[in-house]
Amino acid sequence: MTDVAQTAPADTHGEHESTGIEIRKLGMWVFLSSEFLFFGALITNYLLFASRPGLARPYPAEIYDIPFTSVSSFVLLMSSLTMVLAHHAIERGDQAGTRTWLLATAMLGSLFIGGQVFEFTDFVLEYGMKLTTSPAASAFFVLTGFHGLHVLVGVLMLFSLYGMSRRMGGLSPKHHLNVELVGLYWHFVDIIWIVIFTVVYLISKAPV
Amino acid sequence: MASDTSHAAHPTPLLYVKIALLLAVLTGIEVALFYLEETVGALAVPLLIILAFLKFVIVIGYYMHLRYEKPLLSRFFSAGFVLAILVYAVVLGTFGVLAIRAAT
Repeated sequence: MTDVAQTAPADTHGEHESTGIEIRKLGMWVFLSSEFLFFGALITNYLLFASRPGLARPYPAEIYDIPFTSVSSFVLLMSSLTMVLAHHAIERGDQAGTRTWLLATAMLGSLFIGGQVFEFTDFVLEYGMKLTTSPAASAFFVLTGFHGLHVLVGVLMLFSLYGMSRRMGGLSPKHHLNVELVGLYWHFVDIIWIVIFTVVYLISKAPV
Repeated sequence: MASDTSHAAHPTPLLYVKIALLLAVLTGIEVALFYLEETVGALAVPLLIILAFLKFVIVIGYYMHLRYEKPLLSRFFSAGFVLAILVYAVVLGTFGVLAIRAAT
């Protein structure tokens, strides 16, 4: 352990001595791992009620707008591309490129949230499906709402990084890890949506 | 010892774009399967799950760079995923059995 501490370069401040992995990065991966349990509970809850007969209508699966949600999914997938390009740019020291891709990711994330707000509004006003309509409706709103909240947190972090970069004329090497951590969080939000889109929107069916 | 010695091996922007295109195509196939469910039959659901899992693995491996990271991170990450699958499979199985018993 002493060898690591003595030979480590100055910019590896915060590295976990026994694992060789930056401690904040390790923490982020562990946090994301625990998020599987959080979203797993919400998805399971939805699956338990989505097809249960005898609940008040409409069931969420009766009113999904698949073409609209497919476009939203495409937007979120593309935001993962812009995020990874931001990470690539910061690694190469390309400050302008980093800002461009961070802003693009934040904008795509905002577009996704806008789509979700539109979807929720449509469900409530057009179809009368509210949070309290049935356990199936509650499960749907809680699951997708919490996912949207995660996207919102990601968007705020992206705008913060963008603002920091603008104010300081670029992100210093000690901020590179911040971009990587926000990127990990962002991609995780994307993979959770991959599961939600398939399981909730494409597979689940309302009872006849 | 650097905290991450594998950054040099990360993919190029062109590869990232190709991966994004692949993800878009896979999503397109998923949506097509949704509309062709009656034609595809019982295979539709397993195919949808396989496609989602493929997209899931591609994003983790390439965009989150897990395939270039130290194995310890993969272990931490997989542990949460596997635990979640096991726990919620038991929950769904239990409630499924209870529902069948209640119906009979």
